[in-house]
Amino acid sequence: MNFHFLATRNRVSFAALPALFLVFVTVNSALAQQRVSRHYPAGKNVRIELKNLSGTITVETWPRDEIRITATMEAPAVHFNPRQTDAGLVIDIVGDNRDRRDVGDVNFKIQVPSRSSVDLETRSGQISVSNIQGDLVRAHVWTSGDITLSGVNAARVFASNTTGNIFFDGEFASGGTYEFKSGQGTITLRLPASCGFRLVATAPAKKISMGQFWNDGMKWAGEGRRIIGDVGDGRASVTVTNYQGDIKFMRR
Amino acid sequence: MNCEQYQDLLSEYVDGALASDAQYSVETHLGVCAGCTEARNDLNALVDFCLDHRGEYDAVPNERALWLRISNMIEVGSASSAPAVIPENAGWWFRLMNRSWRLSFPQLAAATVVLIVLSMVAVMGARNLNLIGSGVQQAGFVPLLGSTSVKDRYRQQQQVIAYWNERVELNKARWNPQMRETFDKNLSVIDAAVNESMQQLTQNPHDEVSEEILNAALNDKAELLKEFATL
Repeated sequence: MNFHFLATRNRVSFAALPALFLVFVTVNSALAQQRVSRHYPAGKNVRIELKNLSGTITVETWPRDEIRITATMEAPAVHFNPRQTDAGLVIDIVGDNRDRRDVGDVNFKIQVPSRSSVDLETRSGQISVSNIQGDLVRAHVWTSGDITLSGVNAARVFASNTTGNIFFDGEFASGGTYEFKSGQGTITLRLPASCGFRLVATAPAKKISMGQFWNDGMKWAGEGRRIIGDVGDGRASVTVTNYQGDIKFMRR
Repeated sequence: MNCEQYQDLLSEYVDGALASDAQYSVETHLGVCAGCTEARNDLNALVDFCLDHRGEYDAVPNERALWLRISNMIEVGSASSAPAVIPENAGWWFRLMNRSWRLSFPQLAAATVVLIVLSMVAVMGARNLNLIGSGVQQAGFVPLLGSTSVKDRYRQQQQVIAYWNERVELNKARWNPQMRETFDKNLSVIDAAVNESMQQLTQNPHDEVSEEILNAALNDKAELLKEFATL
């Protein structure tokens, strides 16, 4: 009788093992990640500088005069010390963790007023910026990572990576400067028909598609590796360089 | 005043630009302080050298690389008060770069002048001997680039790249495998752009597009190596 009871109990225990393992893994994973959220007061024209090691960076706007930084860290030991300056906020994960080994991914979600400027940099990982209307948007991935800039209307935009796609959906301000550069990937610029800019687009792979922005005033140079010319009033300066990939223009 | 404050006045003292009471004070101190006297002598020698050779030199052709080397020396010298651990199999360049340097301003200025002169001699020698392209190169390529400025720029960039590459290689063993893989993959993308534009320039030495791509890709490579050299 007792033997039978024990055997039944053991069967129950063995059956529960996978479920227990799943719970253990989930809890362990949650414990391994650390989520930090901080708020900072901000004027309307605040500037955010972020230098990350690896992980995703997402910047969104919201209708409040404050900044919210949410960082999800794989390794709880990562130092995370945002510094407030006269101009805004500086987050330097690289500098704060210079002597540390094996710093894991830090994924950032940053919410800022729409008139903000953002200067973002990471060694690897995706960068996504949406609806920024400030003076500057800079997104630089040293190695691999896609860059997506949507709803951006800034006077200066710089986006560059070595491997990965770059997607820009926004407007070019008159007198603004815009530079997009990739080593390998597709650079896509989606613009309104009314956009005016002076373009220098270079792709040694000879894959440049102007779509509906092509006009008779544009010239091919370098045996099909470069397009130079004005679109509309030509008042914005646009430079696009892609070492191995495509350059595509799309009309919104 | 202490020696540091006196040495701050030495430059103006040598130029004869000090007020009479300050000049008297400095002279009195120099009479009793061997260290400041030596600093004054160094500064005098530097000023004399510059005056004697005024107008003899053009602008340094590899100015950017030169300043990079100087700033690297300063950086390496001041980065850590603790002596760096030098592996037994480290090369002479690494050993040189990991030495501690403590230089006074006059000594630093004198070192700068010496470096300028040496780099000019090296460039002139290379031009005379037509040694363009015999330095550090991409494996498998002998660049037959068009203008002298392109060749010079290429060689300067390769010197910078070689320096940072050596530092990266020393640190690379400590990186995790994923980072090594990512870095190597991305470096190969830039190398492909370098090699492709060099091939184009070999066929057409006056190809402006390839020249610009080569320049941009070499700069990107140097910047990438520099960024990862600190890891």
